[in-house]
Amino acid sequence: MPIKKKAPQIGTPEQVEWAPKIEVKEQLADLRSVLEQIKAREGVIGYILRAETSASVDINDPTKIIDYAVLSASVLESGEGLLEAFGLNKVCSIVAIGENLKVLLLTIGEHRVSVFMEKNVDHDSICKELL
Amino acid sequence: MNEEAYNVALKSALTEIKNVCPDMGRSFILMNNGTLIAGDEQNADPSVERAMSSLQDLAEKAASIGGLNDFLIEAEDGKVYVSRINNMYFITALSKKTDLTYLRTVTGVILPTIIKVLDSISLEATPPTPLRPAPRFPSTPLKSTPHKPLTEEEAVEETVEEAVEEVEAPTPLEAQETEEEVEPESPKPITNLPSQQLIVDKFGGLMVRSDTVQIDSEVLQRWGSLLDVKEIREIDVETFNGKTARCKAKVISDQKLEGRGLIRIPEKTCDTLEVKRGELVRVKPVVPEQESD
Repeated sequence: MPIKKKAPQIGTPEQVEWAPKIEVKEQLADLRSVLEQIKAREGVIGYILRAETSASVDINDPTKIIDYAVLSASVLESGEGLLEAFGLNKVCSIVAIGENLKVLLLTIGEHRVSVFMEKNVDHDSICKELL
Repeated sequence: MNEEAYNVALKSALTEIKNVCPDMGRSFILMNNGTLIAGDEQNADPSVERAMSSLQDLAEKAASIGGLNDFLIEAEDGKVYVSRINNMYFITALSKKTDLTYLRTVTGVILPTIIKVLDSISLEATPPTPLRPAPRFPSTPLKSTPHKPLTEEEAVEETVEEAVEEVEAPTPLEAQETEEEVEPESPKPITNLPSQQLIVDKFGGLMVRSDTVQIDSEVLQRWGSLLDVKEIREIDVETFNGKTARCKAKVISDQKLEGRGLIRIPEKTCDTLEVKRGELVRVKPVVPEQESD
């Protein structure tokens, strides 16, 4: 009797061997909801949340998105460069303060979060909320 | 004021700050001309130089938040604190428990005070401005011995001499006489050309001519005025390794980069001169023969 071949199934991300992704997705959803709350705070301008293959951006002024994205990447690059030069370990958090605004950059698991805010906003409380 | 003396003063300041804040690790001052001053008994290894170059990049890109005033990186084993003081950056490694408020207070008082004093001294010793009626070059070469490190005493003497020269500047009548005396000698080639140290910034692209460099319009105008020529078309670029190249000079096209003491050199020319971004080069104008006659 001929054996009936099973039709090949297209695996959904949940079924594939890289199952830990489920946790990452949950973490991402959590982060987004926390970031939405933070964004609602007075003085917070927006955020950029970057994962390995995706990014979420929510900035009040859409014309500034590219500037902020470039700045966010530069902040991390420069921070890592300085840590390497001084022989310190991995980045926990970075704060870059300008004349008008400041940016808080955190690495949470696979994700990189940059929160842009006015100078007077307490970035420590945001940092605690995110970590 | 002599750059060497300036650096020595800032280096001492770093040592003093470290005495007050023992939690401080290695520390540097990145000056606006790209010079890196390291604290006592420290060397700026390649990784530090790379980090400083990256910091300069960041400072340029931070325009969207109004420049970079403070930069704090918290790491697993400590932190790095960067603070802008005037046009310089103070960079230091700190232990995790360092009281940042205290450090900010100390650096915020000591460094600006020292820089202010140094600036006021250097202003007094500024060489003649182009406001003079005719180009006049000091009898002693302006920067003929830049490689020779000066002791603090020598530097101070030099400053005093320059200041005295300024005080004893000729009256208008004397100036006229000087002009008359200088005129017959004008066909002689000018030997003491003004020179300036500038920071290298690489640029490239398809339409970039490798024989053309870009520098500040203010520098070109100043040289034009000093040498009494309409336009400086060519300049000599000399590296500290002794390599030189004659290039056509143009004004920096990117307005954001103006006034930063930069010379933008095409990549090919950088390779020929063996200079990297952030390094210092000496730049001299080339006087066109017809106009200088």
